Amino acid sequence: MSTDAHSPSRSETPPDWLDQLLAREAADHAGDYIADRGFTARVMQTLPAADALPAWRRPVIVALWLVAAALLAITLPGTAHDVAREAFKLFAARPFSLSTLALALAAIGIATWTGAAVALRRD
Amino acid sequence: MAAQAAPPGVSDAQLIARCIVGDDRHAFAELVKRHQSSVRACLRKLTAGNHALADDLSQETFVLAWRNLKSFRQEARFSTWLYRIATNCWLAQARKRHEELLGDRDAEVADADADDAALSGGTSADHAAGTTMKIDLERALARLSDAERAAIVQCYHNDLSHEEAAYVLGCPVGTVKTHVLRGKQKLKIALAAWAPSQSSQAS
Repeated sequence: MSTDAHSPSRSETPPDWLDQLLAREAADHAGDYIADRGFTARVMQTLPAADALPAWRRPVIVALWLVAAALLAITLPGTAHDVAREAFKLFAARPFSLSTLALALAAIGIATWTGAAVALRRD
Repeated sequence: MAAQAAPPGVSDAQLIARCIVGDDRHAFAELVKRHQSSVRACLRKLTAGNHALADDLSQETFVLAWRNLKSFRQEARFSTWLYRIATNCWLAQARKRHEELLGDRDAEVADADADDAALSGGTSADHAAGTTMKIDLERALARLSDAERAAIVQCYHNDLSHEEAAYVLGCPVGTVKTHVLRGKQKLKIALAAWAPSQSSQAS
């Protein structure tokens, strides 16, 4: 953003007496520095408490859990396959209607979105 | 938090980055130290010299800045962004205390009128006193509407361009120009005693 374009105190039209008065008054105070006198300390005390978990750690923790799950699946060969096969058998043994399937998909979708929202929420 | 106090040579942008990425409160403290004077001065002007209220609003401004630092897109200078938050804080406060402010303003106008009457009987030496002019200007500014006062303060006291003032006030550039124009018209009437005479203007 340009700082000197169309500034009223630096406009192309000749300044009238009020412009000059306002500019002079502003210039008189331009160099004035208001001493801190504990102001910064008061602001810092008022700031909200720090997050227990910094923002960058959240995705790192999620990634670590994923890695751990993958390692578990790899280091226990056959187990994941057995669990999946038994689960499928259990699943396949039940008669499914389209409405049940839709309900299951909806439930999975809601669970996924809720999990993502909780994981990515900003405090 | 392994942050250290920022050296004075570090830019605002670097300090902001440290706040956002590392939740660095020392970096934010440095930003507060750098900008507290200008923000407090701006709010003192907007609150017509009420230092206690100005400092409360300044504190609120910096807390809001900390909370919303991630939304600062560097589309303006950091100081301009702070002015925007400060002005919004002041406007919100003014809205809350509207009735009270109206009462105060009536009293101030009555006081100012009495003083104007006293001044009109004074000598030109009285008028020459800079402090009197400042008091008159402060009172005249206090009589403007919130929008007019905010526009005048941003454009003259903070020396912002119309575009920057529009960003701070959250309104179109044309509206800022209108507020400045109307504010100046009112100031000219209120400060007519300080206008140079026709003869001195001609010379």
